[in-house]
Amino acid sequence: MALHERLRRLDDYRELSGFKTEPAQMRAAGPGKIGELRLGFTRRGDRSVLSDLYRVAPLLVQQALYWDEAMPELPICAIISVGGGILQGDRYTIDISVGEGACAQVTSQGANRIHQMDANYASQHQEVVVGADAYLEYLPDVTIPYRDSRFINDTDLIVDESATVIYGEMMMTGRKHHHASERFGLDLLSMSVNVRRPDGRKLFTEKVLIEKGNNTGDFAAVMRGFDAFANIMCLTPPETAERIKARMDTNWLDENPRAISGVSALPNGAGLMLRAVGIESYDVRREVRRFWKVVREEARGRTLPEEFLWR
Amino acid sequence: MADRKKGAKRPKNDMLLLSRLLQFSDSTLPVGSFAFSNGLESALQTEVVTDADSLQRFVEVVLRQAAHMDGIALLHAHRAITAGDYDGVLAADQALWNRRVGEEQQLMLARMGRKLAELSLKISAFPHLERWLAGIKAGETPGCFPIGQAMAFAQLGADEKQAFVVHQYGVAAMIMSAAVRLMRIDHLDTQRILFAAQESVEDEYASVCGLELEEMSSFAPVFDVLVAHHTTTHVRLFMN
Repeated sequence: MALHERLRRLDDYRELSGFKTEPAQMRAAGPGKIGELRLGFTRRGDRSVLSDLYRVAPLLVQQALYWDEAMPELPICAIISVGGGILQGDRYTIDISVGEGACAQVTSQGANRIHQMDANYASQHQEVVVGADAYLEYLPDVTIPYRDSRFINDTDLIVDESATVIYGEMMMTGRKHHHASERFGLDLLSMSVNVRRPDGRKLFTEKVLIEKGNNTGDFAAVMRGFDAFANIMCLTPPETAERIKARMDTNWLDENPRAISGVSALPNGAGLMLRAVGIESYDVRREVRRFWKVVREEARGRTLPEEFLWR
Repeated sequence: MADRKKGAKRPKNDMLLLSRLLQFSDSTLPVGSFAFSNGLESALQTEVVTDADSLQRFVEVVLRQAAHMDGIALLHAHRAITAGDYDGVLAADQALWNRRVGEEQQLMLARMGRKLAELSLKISAFPHLERWLAGIKAGETPGCFPIGQAMAFAQLGADEKQAFVVHQYGVAAMIMSAAVRLMRIDHLDTQRILFAAQESVEDEYASVCGLELEEMSSFAPVFDVLVAHHTTTHVRLFMN
């Protein structure tokens, strides 16, 4: 599908209908507002390489680095946002492909900030294709939606049945330390994921939708006063999923936990989903890393090194 | 054909329809709902629910989630079967199943769907449910409960709003039934909460009746953790 076709499809989503005004600054979806990124990883000998790269600002990726001590063959790319965050009228596409037997890690440079908006919205479409026996870790840093921000993200994952992918989003309810009105101050956050096999068989779909005016945000069964949450899926063959699930206890022991989390089965043997909720982004990130470590150990037989001190 | 003639006829008047819908919304309808708490058991263990007030808010969240997920699938299945589009029913069935996370939530959805079909065929002839049940047994369709409800109620002559109401009522009633057995609350309080919880039904219908299957959505992160929590607890009275 051509770039513009994919973005136009998002433009038609019902939840965006109230946000069609043009920004006073650069026009929506104009030159400089469409960020494009294409990353292709293939196996070369004992390690994997970034063999295809196409980028259009404000999205940027530089060379792949190999700094994971437990997986020295793993190319790691950080997505850099030249604009310092997502602005109104921005339109992004991100394509990642991991070839047969290859491995890769894609992350982001820092928190993904969706800036305050007074016109239009920002959208992003991602397509992730993971081939036979391939392994991908795609875990962007936390997304922070500012007050009055509108962001829609649609992600298609096409995953071979022998591949393993860990992918997901960590989210804040807003810039909680900036101002109380930032908490759930966003206008719209719409995050969809569609998982299918290369032959087109649909495995799993999820749409997280937060619109202004939903008064249940602080109910105990929704956020219970917490400010960060994560939905991290592990798409993997059923035997691997079983081993991972057996090692993952639910974390909800303390009276006043910093974070709670648990792992559930996805439908159609697609794999597992980690659900985590916590006070700060790093509390949730700790839960995500616990899951990530087990996924890597069971899927690749390698562990996850300790987090860097400067993170 | 002879069987179909003997089967549940489209009622000539509203009285028979109301009576049949009461039967299908009765909490004693043996479709297995007594075995499920829809997250309440874990909500109590983790103190997300502690008393009548927090129970009421829990039910509100679950009803909202149900409307924006199962309710949309039910409406689409109802429209499809009313238009004679059985493939549309299967599409709604699969779309709902593809969105259900958690092995116990999946179990509830499929077991109650199958039991509803089996029960309906025992008490009368429901040709669409018969075909659907054959598909479930052959592994061709998942058999989600709200899809079975949509087909059963359509055949009884209920319109989509009535089908939606019975579905939403069933979700609330199941949790209240579990609450009486799980927590310190009396039957009067649960009836009061059930009575109040129904007030949202028109708003919920209005907010989802125009949505496509692809627009099924959710947002209840703590509830999602509760779903996972229940699969790893040792002391359990309910299956979810």
